[in-house]
Amino acid sequence: MASNKTALKEQLVAYSFIAPNFIGFAVFTLVPIIFAFVLAFLHWDGANPIRWAGLSNFIALFDDDQFKAALKNTIVYTGGTVPLTLVGSLLLAVILNKKIRGRNFFRTVSFFPYVASLVAVAAVWNMMFNPTKGPVNMMLHSLGFKNVPGWAADRHWAMPTVIFFSVWKYVGYYMIIYLAGLQSISAELYEAADLDGANGWQKFISITIPQLSATTFFVLVMLTIQCFKVYDIVYMITQGGPGTATLVLVYDIYNKAFISWRLGSASAVAMVLFLLVMTVTLIQFKGEQRLR
Amino acid sequence: MKKIAVFVLVSLLLCTGLFAQGTKEDATAAGGKTTIKWAVWDIAATTYYQPLIDAYEARNPNVKIEMLDLGSADFMTMLQTQLSGGDSTIDVVAIKDIPGYNNLVKRNLLMSLNDKVKSEGIDLSLYGGVPEALTVNENLYGLPFRNDFWVVFYNKDLFDRAGVSYPTNDMTFDEYDALARKMTSGSGANKVYGAHYHIWRSAVQLFGILDGKHTIVDGEYGFLKPYYERVLAQQRDGIVQDYATLKTSSTHYSGVFYNNSVAMMNMGSWFIPTVIKEIAAGKTEVKNWGIVKYPHAPGVAPGTTLGTITSLGVSNASKKKDAAFDFVKFVCGSEGAQIVAATGTSPALVNDQVANVIASLPGFPTDPASKEALHTAKSYIEMPLHEKAGEIEIVLNQVHDEIMTNNISVDAGIAKMNDQIKKILAQ
Repeated sequence: MASNKTALKEQLVAYSFIAPNFIGFAVFTLVPIIFAFVLAFLHWDGANPIRWAGLSNFIALFDDDQFKAALKNTIVYTGGTVPLTLVGSLLLAVILNKKIRGRNFFRTVSFFPYVASLVAVAAVWNMMFNPTKGPVNMMLHSLGFKNVPGWAADRHWAMPTVIFFSVWKYVGYYMIIYLAGLQSISAELYEAADLDGANGWQKFISITIPQLSATTFFVLVMLTIQCFKVYDIVYMITQGGPGTATLVLVYDIYNKAFISWRLGSASAVAMVLFLLVMTVTLIQFKGEQRLR
Repeated sequence: MKKIAVFVLVSLLLCTGLFAQGTKEDATAAGGKTTIKWAVWDIAATTYYQPLIDAYEARNPNVKIEMLDLGSADFMTMLQTQLSGGDSTIDVVAIKDIPGYNNLVKRNLLMSLNDKVKSEGIDLSLYGGVPEALTVNENLYGLPFRNDFWVVFYNKDLFDRAGVSYPTNDMTFDEYDALARKMTSGSGANKVYGAHYHIWRSAVQLFGILDGKHTIVDGEYGFLKPYYERVLAQQRDGIVQDYATLKTSSTHYSGVFYNNSVAMMNMGSWFIPTVIKEIAAGKTEVKNWGIVKYPHAPGVAPGTTLGTITSLGVSNASKKKDAAFDFVKFVCGSEGAQIVAATGTSPALVNDQVANVIASLPGFPTDPASKEALHTAKSYIEMPLHEKAGEIEIVLNQVHDEIMTNNISVDAGIAKMNDQIKKILAQ
């Protein structure tokens, strides 16, 4: 009995330590998430009485041009940004892990876009890639190109421009993670391979890549989630345009929630986004387990 | 242990009780005065709030007006969130635009002013048809405060240099187009564009509603075709700056007017006080300028233009509705209008007296045409009251963007608007 009481007391003490954090999490994160989930099955404009909607918010999405464009664009964006960033950051990390001259300088330069203010760098990008007055197109002109791309102002080029910008912005951060992964690979493995007469490529394929699989998995998951949630970069570069060429899911959620005040529809889109992220992450989890 | 817990609980309860009491006290009276809280945006950049408050407080020594700045960019969203959350400390609200007004009304957050208008004998006819545009189910929820109407700003020095006579208060679109083409000259750093359209859809699309036959929430947009074609032709011929360039470089319309690179620019009257101020501060290259009435379609009265209405309403949750309405009545009335006009801004109530106040401001163009341009014949609201205004606007903005960047033909763009907006209207 006495020991039960002590155990209970200990538990209470433990809970009291967790409480401040958990209460904050519950009030500001957990409850809103649950509310958003419920909201997807309701009609609500933020003030008038809430009405039950059943699945109608979800069904309406099938005929929603904005949502369809946003879903397609988000998938294209993620499909473009994730592999390019992954390969880019891995290559950069491998190169900058070698003892080359000015290594620290190049590491800093690669990391810089990640820490620089998005608003500032996006403004510079927009100037550089301005279709008529930008230095990039002027250079292309002087190199003899006739039909230069309209970049952010062209329906076909807007998405590649956003992807290009994102890769440039993210690559430094994931390079740092890869560098940490590279440095944890035991040097003995490479020495053994050297004794067996393996060349650089063989070492890269048979040692570096498998040894980095945990890092790659982490990068893949984080990057995918980050890409599905993109909003800020699109807002700064194209505002979702031209037309709906770069409208992404989070942008659509914002429009539905705070311009149209259809909070139920916005939550339904948020649910789709959630399921999408979860599915992709689960597939990645399974894939990673199989690889092991 | 138990005792300590009980003590802590009781003292916590006492504290909350005390604070709750405190806020209630604050709300009703501060030093024997009635305090009215007015939700506004951009206190720092807006010159007429304080003079209005000073004038009102001088007449009503028992009332204190406090401003609550909710920021400019998301003002309507902030205000709506605040009021929906049951904030009863806000008494008077400034309402930035019609969609915002509609949202507040739909949510029953504003007090109907019908009884007050009747009992106080307010003459709504002085506001030139605006109250009708603000009436929902026969109820008026806001008094018009500002009416920023669109005019054409022009650079007199550029016209003088080119030896071309100034634009007039009676220009058809054809004449406007011809004049813009005549005024275009030079290249590179010396290029002068005949006209300028800012990237807002209102700067191009809304030429179409000036004949009074169509509105922007019709669901049928064929009437926009001639206007888009004209502006795209001007863009192609280098008469106006390219939309894509303006958008990607985030060019502000004031910059191109200040640095003498555009001869004419259609813009709202809110730009008048800004131009006056910037020229006085010596921050511009443009020195001599003027305004004329908006161009019009044949058969439409000159002075027909677009207006953006800012109104003032009383929050339904306010505990001091009578005092709040009294302030609204003053600000939107003749005296308030003159105070607003004295800062160069166009109040909703424009009579000869108010127009004279603006025209006699130091820095306002002295030619009679500019003064005459302050009188509008008819002003159509940029976005009429409509339940789906927000959703419609998203599509209109997207398609405008596509058409102006030449990513879609005018016909395909109009078909897209028709298709998508009909769908929204049918929901």
